[in-house]
Amino acid sequence: MSTDVHSLLAPYVLDALDPEERNQFEAHLEQCPDCRTELGGLQATATRLAESQSQAPPAELRQRLLTAIGTTPQERPVVTAMSQRGGLRRRLPQLVAAAALVLAAAGGTGYFVEHNRADEQHDQNVAIRAVLGAPDADTKALNLPNGGTVRLITSESRDSAVVVARELPALDEGKVYQVWLIKKSAAESQGTFSRSGEMVMKDLADVDQVAVTVEPSGGSKKPTTAPVVDVPV
Amino acid sequence: MAGKKPIRSESLMTRAAAHLRLADPVSDEPSADPDQLLTRVGRGDEQAFAALYDLLGASVYGLARRVVRDPARAEEISQEVFIQVWRSAARFDTSRGSARGWVLTLAHRRAVDAVRHDQAATNRENRYDWSSGPAFDQVEETVSTTLEHEQVRRCLDGLTELQREAVNLAYYNGHTYAEVAEVLDTNPATIKTRIRDGLVRLRDCMGVPA
Ligand SMILES: [Zn+2]
Repeated sequence: MSTDVHSLLAPYVLDALDPEERNQFEAHLEQCPDCRTELGGLQATATRLAESQSQAPPAELRQRLLTAIGTTPQERPVVTAMSQRGGLRRRLPQLVAAAALVLAAAGGTGYFVEHNRADEQHDQNVAIRAVLGAPDADTKALNLPNGGTVRLITSESRDSAVVVARELPALDEGKVYQVWLIKKSAAESQGTFSRSGEMVMKDLADVDQVAVTVEPSGGSKKPTTAPVVDVPV
Repeated sequence: MAGKKPIRSESLMTRAAAHLRLADPVSDEPSADPDQLLTRVGRGDEQAFAALYDLLGASVYGLARRVVRDPARAEEISQEVFIQVWRSAARFDTSRGSARGWVLTLAHRRAVDAVRHDQAATNRENRYDWSSGPAFDQVEETVSTTLEHEQVRRCLDGLTELQREAVNLAYYNGHTYAEVAEVLDTNPATIKTRIRDGLVRLRDCMGVPA
């Protein structure tokens, strides 16, 4: 990672990066404790700049919002992870579907955390941190054409990879995103998520690519649609 | 580890949040705490949503207004921000940052996206005309004078002129640092440094924990 990336921290906090740099910097943030340490104070400063502009909104806005939320569904605080289901857990014992951790500091969407069970979340966080903190961690970032980003952080020394999906386009009811490891001609399911989520995947020796498809809720045994994301490993 | 709280990366936002709450004159009334309100919003509490709006609506609208200038557009952005807050509240974890910081981050991103989208449309006909539109201090006159505003203004006054211009253009006008460099006819690397020095100086002047 070039030292120059650190210098994007302040412009990042002010939303003064173009989308490509923002993406690049968020990937950097996951791997740079120095930037993460400094982020909070600078973000709080930006919040103060925001608050100083306080100005009464038009009175109608309040009622309009209160009416609107009456018909607006709320997102559920869960990433459905196949690791939490009995059968697949036995079949894929190495899989840990993950919760957000250091990514929490990474700006707007970064405050979300998935509410997995505490003990599982702990294991997942440890596994994720091991990959992100590996000296040979390598990040590939993709902006999806219809919004959202997917990042794949791979560590050869850990023989593991972390997939981080952020704010993918909302799907119709009854649909989820499903993550696959493609090995030669076989596709191994790694779990599903709604719009944002993280997963750790191990044993990457024969893996050719990581793919994400849209599948019916609960996931499919094999991909049934063309991948929305397809990253060579 | 069963039953233990999940490990979370220690976030400085938490400390910053505590500081912001102290600065808030209504903070000792528990129902007016944005973090608690947001938690309730996450459970579908519409009253808490209304209270949260009453607390943060002016900050969101004022910020959007400053960035996009157009009142109707600012109102639209404020509406989108609060709808997003309603939708996503259950996914917010108050141990990782302040609700206030989160909402205003959402608002700023959305306002900046809007202004860049509009600017891109303008640019197709009129390239590099960054100077059009009112001067960036003009909108400020309509801003209600608050203690907070006075402090921020004083701290901004403490910056060098170029630091102040760079921070203003980036944060309040929604320019990327590369665009700021274009406007100020300066090397982008210099602008990055200026933004950073300016922000650090503001942080220290406002008493925000580093
Ligand atoms: Zn860094």
